[in-house]
Amino acid sequence: MIGFKKEKRRLTKSERTKKREKTISFIVMLIVSIFFAFPLVYMLGTSFKSDLDLQLHPEALFPTAPSEWTLEHYTGFIFRDGKIDNMPIWMLNSLWSTTASVALTVIVDLITAFAVVFLQFKGKKIFMKFLVLWMAVPGVIGTAPSFAIYATVKNSLMVSGLGGYFYIYFWMVVPGVTGIFNLLLMRNFFLSIPNDIIASAKSDGASYMTIFRRIVCPLAKSTIMLIVLFTFTGSWNSLIWPQLLFAGESSYWNTVTVALAGYTGGSSWGQVGISMATSVFALIPIVIIFIITQNKMIDGLASTGIKM
Amino acid sequence: MEENIKIKKAEMRKSKRRESLLALALISPYIIVFIIFTLIPVVAGFIYSFMRNNPYMPEENEFIGFQNYVNLFNFNLPISKAFWESFSTMLLFDIVAVPCMIIIPLVLAYFINMQPPGYKIFRAIIYIPSVISISIMGIIFGNMFQGDSSGLINAWLGTEIKWLSGTPWHGDTLRWLVMLIASIWWQTGTNFVIFAGALRNVPKSLYEACEMDGGNRWKRILYVTLPNIKSAITVCLFNTLIGYLNLYGQPYVLNDLTNENILVSPIMFIQQYLQGGITYARQTGYICASAIIFGIIVMIFSAIQRKCTAERKRRTTHASDCKTYYSDKELLSGIVSITDSDNDDKWGAL
Repeated sequence: MIGFKKEKRRLTKSERTKKREKTISFIVMLIVSIFFAFPLVYMLGTSFKSDLDLQLHPEALFPTAPSEWTLEHYTGFIFRDGKIDNMPIWMLNSLWSTTASVALTVIVDLITAFAVVFLQFKGKKIFMKFLVLWMAVPGVIGTAPSFAIYATVKNSLMVSGLGGYFYIYFWMVVPGVTGIFNLLLMRNFFLSIPNDIIASAKSDGASYMTIFRRIVCPLAKSTIMLIVLFTFTGSWNSLIWPQLLFAGESSYWNTVTVALAGYTGGSSWGQVGISMATSVFALIPIVIIFIITQNKMIDGLASTGIKM
Repeated sequence: MEENIKIKKAEMRKSKRRESLLALALISPYIIVFIIFTLIPVVAGFIYSFMRNNPYMPEENEFIGFQNYVNLFNFNLPISKAFWESFSTMLLFDIVAVPCMIIIPLVLAYFINMQPPGYKIFRAIIYIPSVISISIMGIIFGNMFQGDSSGLINAWLGTEIKWLSGTPWHGDTLRWLVMLIASIWWQTGTNFVIFAGALRNVPKSLYEACEMDGGNRWKRILYVTLPNIKSAITVCLFNTLIGYLNLYGQPYVLNDLTNENILVSPIMFIQQYLQGGITYARQTGYICASAIIFGIIVMIFSAIQRKCTAERKRRTTHASDCKTYYSDKELLSGIVSITDSDNDDKWGAL
């Protein structure tokens, strides 16, 4: 009996392999993670360096002496010369336009998918088939004509001032609302709701409005969450289209991502501290969203990748 | 009685009509926005490509037939030369970058699938660069690879290598290397997460069966892991490829004063000419034609992808996985075969 117990305590071959596997993968992942975290640490460290330290010690990740730690890059872009600088305005531009496109996308996707799945109407199948086919058409074909239409309408209406601001943001937010991938995601989820639930609600005399509000929306919570995440990061980080719209406009109107692109490339010289601090600041909303929802985001991405 | 039925039928017809009216009302926002901002621009793109078009001077617009397309393939024109140079530069970068963007996430996913302690933290660290915007990536890597001694890497090496000032086709290997490193850092996360999810779904019994038959680690990877995540690899491969054909951000943000205006990808080319405003506005028709040619090339790739993914849908059942495994097993060397005739029939029947 005792001998048996002793044997049990010894690890079997497969257990030993597993342990070895875990050790090896831990070491590999640790090294890789250091590489992946390094640029972010560098960004954070550099943003606290004083200007003198930036010039004398470019090789150090963090400020070399306690006296070299400074917040001037952070305060610098919020208040400069006694008035509010561009950065908070860019943040607000980004925040409101991103929120608007997330809200519009979710609402439009919800009602469209509801109609497509739960209501009968003519041309339903053609509608979906057309959208699935359209997914193969690359967006780049539409970029130049969209911009031409945008410019033509702008010139003929002679929009300017605040009207011009809202005109640009209209062109930025609204076209993105009809992302086909999001709609398909929502529709596929609605198709997985058992029809019995809807049928029994109908026989209890529930109107479509009640079904939509009390049954479908609460069930779709996780899919809505997924769409919110994808749209939020996508819209916050979008560069190509907004960059076109903002070309030649007042720099106050930029979104954070477009404005930060101006710190890159040839023009970034000599602004290391400020550009790093601005980047850290611009990262805050994305990181907050990521920390709150990281597991949902990662799992959702993994499963959509498989289902696609 | 008949009256009743008639009334009922009329009621049903009425409710049906109300239903389709409601449906129409619900999908109309989507359709309207889609038509105005997606359908019309694409159709207009086709029309403009046959025109000399200038949005700032609409009175000069006229149809010129296939002239834009002819110009596009006339390599003596500087604008066509710029387009095709940008196109070939982008292709060359993609040939190197796309395999990297598949293999590196795959290897990382393989290691994370062994579930080392704290694997969720590692997963988050590798994924987090993917949610960062391209501008921030450009700021970080641009400062790290700054061309003079103030850059981090140059300060470490004690050199003054001009990392970012190469021109395409004339010794810009260094700039591409930086772009590659930055792309790997920035985009590994998405594919990595998808692969990790696919690897987790591979049935454990298949590994065990393979091990029982004497398959070592490489054989297990070759005959169990890879066939089982083939669909995820296909999806990622084509998404990455199409994403990299649309390369814009990396060359835009990782740049230097000396080559700020050099175009290294078709999107960059289109963007540059559109951003020029009135200066380049008369080229709008030409830009549309080049966008269509470029779009058709991208479309060919997505058509191939559709074909591949449609094929796999027909055979992704557990039974067929087993079947593949048992047929592959004969390739394993030095093993006692348990696939005698009985078993073969059993799997054949599935």
